Amino acid sequence: MQRLQVVLGHLRGPADSGWMPQAAPCLSGAPQASAADVVVVHGRRTAICRAGRGGFKDTTPDELLSAVMTAVLKDVNLRPEQLGDICVGNVLQPGAGAIMARIAQFLSDIPETVPLSTVNRQCSSGLQAVASIAGGIRNGSYDIGMACGVESMSLADRGNPGNITSRLMEKEKARDCLIPMGAARAQSKGCFQAEIVPVTTTVHDDKGTKRSITVTQDEGIRPSTTMEGLAKLKPAFKKDGSTTAGLTVSDVDIFEINEAFASQAAYCVEKLRLPPEKVNPLGGAVALGHPLGCTGARQVITLLNELKRRGKRAYGVVSMCIGTGMGAAAVFEYPGN
Amino acid sequence: MHTFASCGTLLILDPDEAGLRLFRSFDWNDGLFDVTWSENNEHVLITCSGDGSLQLWDTAKAAGPLQVYKEHAQEVYSVDWSQTRGEQLVVSGSWDQTVKLWDPTVGKSLCTFRGHESIIYSTIWSPHIPGCFASASGDQTLRIWDVKAAGVRIVIPAHQAEILSCDWCKYNENLLVTGAVDCSLRGWDLRNVRQPVFELLGHTYAIRRVKFSPFHASVLASCSYDFTVRFWNFSKPDSLLETVEHHTEFTCGLDFSLQSPTQVADCSWDETIKIYDPACLTIPA
Repeated sequence: MQRLQVVLGHLRGPADSGWMPQAAPCLSGAPQASAADVVVVHGRRTAICRAGRGGFKDTTPDELLSAVMTAVLKDVNLRPEQLGDICVGNVLQPGAGAIMARIAQFLSDIPETVPLSTVNRQCSSGLQAVASIAGGIRNGSYDIGMACGVESMSLADRGNPGNITSRLMEKEKARDCLIPMGAARAQSKGCFQAEIVPVTTTVHDDKGTKRSITVTQDEGIRPSTTMEGLAKLKPAFKKDGSTTAGLTVSDVDIFEINEAFASQAAYCVEKLRLPPEKVNPLGGAVALGHPLGCTGARQVITLLNELKRRGKRAYGVVSMCIGTGMGAAAVFEYPGN
Repeated sequence: MHTFASCGTLLILDPDEAGLRLFRSFDWNDGLFDVTWSENNEHVLITCSGDGSLQLWDTAKAAGPLQVYKEHAQEVYSVDWSQTRGEQLVVSGSWDQTVKLWDPTVGKSLCTFRGHESIIYSTIWSPHIPGCFASASGDQTLRIWDVKAAGVRIVIPAHQAEILSCDWCKYNENLLVTGAVDCSLRGWDLRNVRQPVFELLGHTYAIRRVKFSPFHASVLASCSYDFTVRFWNFSKPDSLLETVEHHTEFTCGLDFSLQSPTQVADCSWDETIKIYDPACLTIPA
């Protein structure tokens, strides 16, 4: 403490101003981990394939979910009955996939004594699952939990909003909930070997013939993509069109911001004055895709793996805009190697 | 080779074609606040530490240190190896308000100099006058000491603020500069210490280190809590030559290269070391 006092004594303001800096607690300064901290132990994901045309176009989401559930438990050598809870983020399945996810749990031989819930907070569902499990640990309901996010954009019926009242037309914000999301995408290559779980599945071709494949990599490789090529793509929105999707910026090393649309991510970077090299360093949704319920969980895994690769103590942020007019963000601390 | 002492680690860096290579690193279990190269062996250097001790290292040996000198009761903030041939003398300045004189081949100090009434931040040998060194202190004085007399020769109340750094002019044996918490640099002529011979204003926060150029008689450099490094020519009416703002935190260390007349190294709380050739040194004055 004396060294700090000596330095503070050097920091007088301009002569005769009488100004002195005051030391105050710094939220990013807490150095010691405590037993009360909630920590993310491990994460895996499947590859992300093209909707409607890719390797997973005929794969039901319970198969995808089961593959990662099994892989994660095996990697950390955890007996499934030690889990206190499972929460799965999903958007397009009926009931946010409550039955689908429970089936995935049993496909992975996780016993029925481990409870499971699903959550749909639209694009942030995967991140919400992480928040829910962290909350359960923090409030003492259990010590270990599993958070997941899953989506099949190919198989799901995106057009059915459910049973809703016609009175929604009387309120602008209620009406706006029905605006469909969609955007043209360019793709570029990412590299995620450590986190991807290979999945063997079947694909049907036009004639109905089934073929077995093993998917190990994100699809969406178009190495010839150039700025000129991107500029030619039809923008999703017109220039003045309507709609779309204790710490400071300098304390954060990586921002995983979901690129619901290229313009939305660019707006965030500009408005918040984020150094571009800190944002989605391994590619975002424009490169990888945005399987709705999965994205939040995918961002957490990508973020934590990159922080671990970089080695030093650092903070990372996961954030996304949410269809129907919300936003979500979470801050993660990597304690350093 | 460059050495940099930071909290607990001594880094020996070697410039090569690719840039800067980490030649070797040594760890110490408390912060290292200063470093000085030996004058008689190009592999040897001494660091001083927050635990009150000095360490002697040999860069040709991976293990280390070769010797530890533990006498100061508090942080040692400054260490300097004398350039006098024939004698190997090292002077250390400590927060315990004493200066100690060492012969690196002897395990105990040769002499302890008392007088300062606060933390000592800097102790530097005169490059001209054998056995003579200067010290700068939180007691707001610059003191000139004589090893042979084992005591202080001159006490200069140089600032009305803590003095964090001092240095001797390499071209004028009577001239020193002090850098202080009042954000000013002042030049002092030992023949008449009543008032400074120059005052350089521009830094907006305390000055952490000041160094006279080894190649230009009236050029000096300073680094500060204001994040900048500034270059000055005190013989010009418009004395500020250049302000370098490439750090994002307190800039606390600085030195001129002895090999290249245009090169400078600095370091900062932003955890970076920068080696560069500022424009004002590359363009002939």
